[in-house]
Amino acid sequence: MTRIRWSAVAPGVALAVFTLALLGRYLAPNDPEQPVAVPWSVPSTQLPFGADALGRDVLSRVLAGGANLLGVALTAAAAALLIGVALGLVAGWWPRWAGHAVRWFGDLLLAVPALVLALVLAVALPGAAAVVVAAVLSGAPLTARVVAAQCATVRDSGYLHAAVERGEHGAVVLVRELLPALRGLVAADAGLRLITALQLATTLAVLGFGPQPPDPDWALMLSENLPGAALNPTALLAPAVPLALCALLCAATARTATREREGVW
Amino acid sequence: MIARRLTRTALLVLAATVVVFAATEALPGDAASVREAGRASPEQVAQAREQLGLDQPVVVRYLRWLSGLLQGDLGSSLSSGRPVSDLLGQRLPATASLVAVALGTTVLLTVAGLIVTQLRRGRGGMLAAGLAAVPQAVYAAALGALLSATLGWLPAVSLLPPGGNPWQDPRTLVLPALTLALPSAAYASTLLRGVLTDTLRRPHVVDAYRRGLPPMLVLLRHVRPFLVVPALQVLALTAGWLAAGTALVETVYGFPGLGGLLVSAVAVRDIPVVQGAALVPVATVLLGMLLADLAAAAVHRNGRPAVVRPVRTAESTP
Repeated sequence: MTRIRWSAVAPGVALAVFTLALLGRYLAPNDPEQPVAVPWSVPSTQLPFGADALGRDVLSRVLAGGANLLGVALTAAAAALLIGVALGLVAGWWPRWAGHAVRWFGDLLLAVPALVLALVLAVALPGAAAVVVAAVLSGAPLTARVVAAQCATVRDSGYLHAAVERGEHGAVVLVRELLPALRGLVAADAGLRLITALQLATTLAVLGFGPQPPDPDWALMLSENLPGAALNPTALLAPAVPLALCALLCAATARTATREREGVW
Repeated sequence: MIARRLTRTALLVLAATVVVFAATEALPGDAASVREAGRASPEQVAQAREQLGLDQPVVVRYLRWLSGLLQGDLGSSLSSGRPVSDLLGQRLPATASLVAVALGTTVLLTVAGLIVTQLRRGRGGMLAAGLAAVPQAVYAAALGALLSATLGWLPAVSLLPPGGNPWQDPRTLVLPALTLALPSAAYASTLLRGVLTDTLRRPHVVDAYRRGLPPMLVLLRHVRPFLVVPALQVLALTAGWLAAGTALVETVYGFPGLGGLLVSAVAVRDIPVVQGAALVPVATVLLGMLLADLAAAAVHRNGRPAVVRPVRTAESTP
């Protein structure tokens, strides 16, 4: 019996789902913001997912509603990862005080839950910016911590000493010798950062600090279509399933990468 | 040792107050312009700034806020004019009940999940990690649609007034507590599963199994002591996440607690209320971590094999 290894397929599927979500607005058959049917119409051949409270086509709204959410999440995760890796390399390379500072900062931000941080920042910043800043502040120290820990073990290995003895420039050693050794770690961490960013972006959007109606958005659709769940359950499932799928795929990708480097976590 | 931990917690609390204050106060758009928005001349705004002490430098304002905080005075709401401490005190019991119920549910689900994955020889770990990754709003939508809209067992929105007692109608607690508990249980079990797997590989546990001791006895006598400290750490963190997660569930289900207060205060930029309500989950995390640390120290002193291998607490379920 051949078992499908989900963790091996996950990165490919994740790429497909994210691409579809980001480009979906061009595939939408109807205008996602215009009523086309009776409110809460059930699925039919015309409207495969039925209609929402205002009679808008749910399929078109789902296709158009992922780009913003995933765009914010991807930006936030990428920013957190880049800053975290840079800080981690610095802390792992120059020992002592830099390492202590990163660790202490990480402890501090662990105490302020990312959601609370994002909400507090949303007082002055627009929702998307609050998500990015909160994801960086709460995620980067964690990335930095694992990267620094791994750096410390790699630092004393022979090939790094050799590179230093050859007289390579410090930055060259960091990027060309040290960074490849951290590849698996960074890949796993990217998945985790993306999960946190997706959760933050979703929560802030549901709470009303993201896109505003009538914009199509998966997170907003969750709260918009909940009242009609008994009339047209598809309208609620349609945004919930791709959102959950994205999160599951991120988790699977992170896990694959974690398993590859075994034991650091 | 204990003194060091206390100092550390105190320093972290202080640093956390700086983070919360800086995030709300140092950014553009201050309280006076919010309160007088649209209906005041520049002179009146300037007067209001002076009244609220906003013409002072940020460090002075922070120190003033901090000294007020230490005396239990967090200022007054900009929109209703009521003292922030009153608003928090009124809603604290409801949120505390919610977090307590959610924490209890989390513990039960985590233990059940660990037992199930262990019986299946570690399979299902993927499922737990995946469930922990799904945004809380999806759980809220799914549970609300299933238990309230379709089956009609529970009220979709709790119609409690602020300061109301949720125990008068415990059904109002079910949906918010379940929505909080499901993802946090999934996450807690992924954290603890790693510790459990490591412990089961320890030589004395392997030996105990080989000697043919009953599995239950091995678990209770040889495995349990290694799990106490990590479990306490995870419990402390979970309490903090749940306190933060109330922001979403209380808003979605109309539950009158601190999380909902924080969200509505952010929406109207009621800065003193935001600061006060944001400090509650922060204090919960730090207090929980301190208690877990102290418990770990106590376990260690009794000669137990305290593996103080801090659980990697990378992610937070919001």
